[in-house]
Amino acid sequence: MSNAMNFAFMREEPAPPNGRRVAIIGAGPSGLAAAGYLGCLGYQVEVYDKLPKPGGLMLFGIPGHRIPADRIQRGVFTLSRKFGVNFHNKTKICCSAPLHEEEGDHFSCDIRGLGELVEEHDAVIICSGAWKSRKLGIPGEQLKGVYSGLEFLFPIRAVKYATSNVSVPPVEGRTVVVVGAGHSAMDVAHSAKALGAKRVVMVYRRTKKEAPAGSYEVDRLIDVGCEWLERRTPLRIVADETGQHVAALEMADGNTGETEVLPADVIVTSIGEIPTPPFQKELGLENVRKGEVRWLHMTSIENVFVAGDVLTGPSKIGKAVYSGLRAARSLTNWLDLKAQHRENEYNYDADVITRPGAPSEQR
Amino acid sequence: MSECHGRGKTLHIDYSKCIGCETCEAVCGFLYDTPRIAMARTGDGQMIPIYCQHCEHAHCMKVCNRGALMRDRDGAVVLQPMLCRGCETRNCVIACPYAAFFATDRGVAVRKCDLCAGRRAVGLGPACAEMCPCGAIRFADRDELDELETEASREARDRVLAHIRPKK
Ligand SMILES: Cc1cc2nc3c(=O)[nH]c(=O)nc-3n(C[C@H](O)[C@H](O)[C@H](O)COP(=O)(O)OP(=O)(O)OC[C@H]3O[C@@H](n4cnc5c(N)ncnc54)[C@H](O)[C@@H]3O)c2cc1C
Ligand code: SF4
Ligand code: SF4
Repeated sequence: MSNAMNFAFMREEPAPPNGRRVAIIGAGPSGLAAAGYLGCLGYQVEVYDKLPKPGGLMLFGIPGHRIPADRIQRGVFTLSRKFGVNFHNKTKICCSAPLHEEEGDHFSCDIRGLGELVEEHDAVIICSGAWKSRKLGIPGEQLKGVYSGLEFLFPIRAVKYATSNVSVPPVEGRTVVVVGAGHSAMDVAHSAKALGAKRVVMVYRRTKKEAPAGSYEVDRLIDVGCEWLERRTPLRIVADETGQHVAALEMADGNTGETEVLPADVIVTSIGEIPTPPFQKELGLENVRKGEVRWLHMTSIENVFVAGDVLTGPSKIGKAVYSGLRAARSLTNWLDLKAQHRENEYNYDADVITRPGAPSEQR
Repeated sequence: MSECHGRGKTLHIDYSKCIGCETCEAVCGFLYDTPRIAMARTGDGQMIPIYCQHCEHAHCMKVCNRGALMRDRDGAVVLQPMLCRGCETRNCVIACPYAAFFATDRGVAVRKCDLCAGRRAVGLGPACAEMCPCGAIRFADRDELDELETEASREARDRVLAHIRPKK
């Protein structure tokens, strides 16, 4: 038993090459699971990711004390050494979308078009995750010192891989207010504490019992000295005298019905992410989500499949892995039948699943 | 019934390393359609996988009066569907102290973990242990179980057991 997340768990050795090439866009859990499955079957797999290392949010979002980074890296190493998977890091796949839009874009030095990839490969799977942070939609969110969960967490991990473009949010000796009660909010609070924040206050609109991360996690934060304020609805972020930087969070206290002002040097709103597929419309992703496709996980472009959080919205590693495996299997079925001109024999009903992870409030 | 070498193998989950990500359940479900390791939410909101411990003195084996549960050569407690088929008592489901014997509405009425028998036959290990991102699941010799326990793992395990068997 190796000490790795073994994405190639289906076989000990790859099957002989089957002559097919597949491109996978995004090296998070869904993309890596798909790469492992197809690598085992003898496919030549090319994995593209805009970040300097494969792993997706397992590496760049979730703190290392929860998922050991070397376990992911060893799994990736096995894929590339033993199963011949080629990793093209720092390569962003896009069409016309503007650059520098999502967290992590500034790492990519190479940009390739989806069209090219479709030409060059027998099939493509898009596994690009959900990286755009949801906003609270209250005044003052543009102020300096206000971060989304990913904006806050990403640099903490990324700084280890490239120091030039990223800087860790300055929190030492300061008061950090975290809005939200999912896993990413918990991760933000733990990280702020670890980086030496003077005071960390958690703000949640419902009660501890209703926290998506569970009351156990909240209690653990309280144990390490974080404060917990429940039934608070953020109303407005107040600027300091320069008008540029955050100074406080104004919120409605659901217990008393009163408005209160909480001084803050840093505010992190961690209330979930939304999917950012390259070419949402062109791919007809809405129809894939609703299940109105002939092939499980296939988009409206033939031979282009989709899996993971980009399809379902933010979910969990397990759901992303499942989705990646299902898309990979669907892709193989499709190419096998197509090679024999028997596409119409595909039995969609046999392949339909209770679709994993409808966009949830898990985090 | 066949003998196994030593005290055989089993799964071990260190709940202090587990982050509740559902990968084990997902991979199992991908391989076998209905998973044999299942996530549960504890009273204080933690997601935890419930799994078969392939007990040395397995209650499920004792209560099955058709002898449909057998120990294989690696020490796994495996279900023989052809013997099980048709039984509706679900004695096994009720007897399992770890809530790891599941009732289904498909095929034979029950399902359980067999430590990936088909994979073991070709030299692979249980898939959940291969894919757990945190290394929380080990495919271990029963003899090395003690070495795997830490203070944190015992404490976490007690919390999980308190959920499975609440005090009356
Ligand atoms: C802070 C935080 C904590 C979390 N905690 C947990 C937890 O405890 N348990 C749990 O189960 N889940 C947790 N999650 C959720 C989990 O991380 C995700 O559900 C999962 O990683 C989704 O996998 P994915 O493969 O779909 O996408 P991702 O992991 O997001 O990977 C997508 C990859 O695609 C790349 N990419 C995107 N666009 C492009 C492009 N145009 N070109 C090239 N590459 C591109 C990205 O760089 C990234 O590497 C957490 C998430 C966050 C943010
Ligand atoms: S895969 Fe590992 S970390 Fe995830 S739920 Fe299962 S045991 Fe826990
Ligand atoms: S099903 Fe339950 S009783 Fe039977 S071996 Fe597994 S854990 Fe023990």
